[in-house]
Amino acid sequence: MLLHTEHLTKSYNGFRALDDLNLTVTRGEVVGLLGPNGSGKTTALRLILGFLRPTTGHATVAGHDCWADSVRARRHVSYLPGELRLYENMTGRQLVRFLGELRGDERRADVDALARRFDIDLDRPIAHLSSGMKRKVALLQVLVPHAPLLILDEPTNTLDPTMRDELLAQLRQARDGGQAVVFSSHVLGEVEQVCDRVAILQRGRLVHLQEMKELRQGRLVHVRFGGAAPAPPDLPGLSVREQGDGRATWEHAGDLPPLLEWLGRQPILELRIEPLGLSGVYHRYHGAVA
Amino acid sequence: MTLTLIRKQLRDLRLALFVVGLLLAAFECLWVKITERISGKLVPLLSGLAAASRIGFGQVQNTIFEGPGKILRTLIGGESVNLDNAMQVLSIGYVHPLVQTVLCVWAIGRASGAIAGEIDRGTMELLLAQPVPRSRVVLAHLCVDVLTIPILCLCMWAGTFLGTWLVGPIRMDPSELKKMPFKVEADESKLELRPAAFGPSLVNVAALVFAVSGTTLWLSARGRFRGRVLGTVVVITLLQFLINVVGQMWDALEWLRPFTVFYYYQPQQIAMSARWTVAWGEWATVNVLAVLFGVGAAGYALALWTFTRRDLPAPL
Repeated sequence: MLLHTEHLTKSYNGFRALDDLNLTVTRGEVVGLLGPNGSGKTTALRLILGFLRPTTGHATVAGHDCWADSVRARRHVSYLPGELRLYENMTGRQLVRFLGELRGDERRADVDALARRFDIDLDRPIAHLSSGMKRKVALLQVLVPHAPLLILDEPTNTLDPTMRDELLAQLRQARDGGQAVVFSSHVLGEVEQVCDRVAILQRGRLVHLQEMKELRQGRLVHVRFGGAAPAPPDLPGLSVREQGDGRATWEHAGDLPPLLEWLGRQPILELRIEPLGLSGVYHRYHGAVA
Repeated sequence: MTLTLIRKQLRDLRLALFVVGLLLAAFECLWVKITERISGKLVPLLSGLAAASRIGFGQVQNTIFEGPGKILRTLIGGESVNLDNAMQVLSIGYVHPLVQTVLCVWAIGRASGAIAGEIDRGTMELLLAQPVPRSRVVLAHLCVDVLTIPILCLCMWAGTFLGTWLVGPIRMDPSELKKMPFKVEADESKLELRPAAFGPSLVNVAALVFAVSGTTLWLSARGRFRGRVLGTVVVITLLQFLINVVGQMWDALEWLRPFTVFYYYQPQQIAMSARWTVAWGEWATVNVLAVLFGVGAAGYALALWTFTRRDLPAPL
């Protein structure tokens, strides 16, 4: 277990920005934090980084408390902030070197290779770079140290589609290399592409923890009947999402043939089966509010 | 790690350090020339006028500094400064309001940006996302103060030396003396400039900058926006300066002076009479360096205590 949070809570004058978060992340796993603005994603990440003192509960990285033993915890973490601010008077190379020296990490070999891959000119002053380029430099400084845990706060902001794909590929590569990744995002598609688990936050609370493997096995079944919608069959893994007016939408994670057989006996006008996807789960919590 | 932080801060500060150092050196250099004009031209003229009027030079000086002139006298060092002594006039260069302003601008500007500035800009979280203890950040700022403050002090001293070398020994011009309709007696001993005498005073200058820097750093460690910290410290420092000046002219405020850092800024008396203490009322004296370095050290200790316990807010 690399990251562990237990009843992690942060309150500001009675307002709970994060409420009782229990989460565990192991090596070789990518976990996505999902939720609208103000749901507590960034607060959770800042607590893990030791920027904020928990009101109650605690978080540990590699067994080190994120507040009381923050420096040791941060040795295992590489972080990309959501609101990106870099030292504008440095070049990309100087920044990477500076942050590397602070880590006591002299690893330089990767820098140029990654820079070429990201198409970054490391010798230009950061002040002269576009916001997308700055984000690439920041990503570079996250990837170079090969920290066991990567924490990325909305990492694909301002990246073009090619670079976003490149980043997601890098995250998969990091996972395959045994690194763990926790990242927050608003973009469900990219979370679906890369995550092994998804944590959905709502008003500071973790409301849903989903294995993506399970999600990928699930499907949504939309049916329009030629009359009133009958009660769904009693099949394992079938649950009703919506039903009425001759229409039904069911979630199904079991074997398909028994369901198709049952449907074949019904007066069906229209049938559509699609992968369940993250959108369905997400909108269960944030559909109307998000 | 600390060395990396220090190097980075010095890199960020180098231009400002150069400009402020140059400014201080240039001012002290210029002040030697002003001293030469006052001691070599103005004082003989006034002395002659005094002799012709059969009054002492002190009386002329008192007349100049009467009424509104008292503010001027307070600003240049009070009653301990006599215009007929070139060294005492030269010492005004170390207490001149412009010099104190430049020193305070340096201390406040640097320290206010040290923590609140980085939080404000959003770069603090980039820094603290690395395995850097917050205490090291404060330590690095302390080291930067320890390195840069002596450089500024030495710039002032170098300016005095350079000015003395450029101006040469102060002499009353005999041809000018002859033109005067009265006899002027030159006291050459009062015209001698000894810039080396200001060496010990530099420690007091450094102590003042350290005190202001330390207290500013504490507020910076509490703050989130550099502008607010800057504004607060400027108001506090300005109030202290005014209380110290007004307290010298108005007895009702005299008791407040020991609560200001400027009360302990005494480079003139250190250079002229090697006196390192000031009075605390009528019952005690206190070493000026102990107070100023103590205030600075307390500021740093409070900054450390505050910064290692506070939340780091997200940049806006």
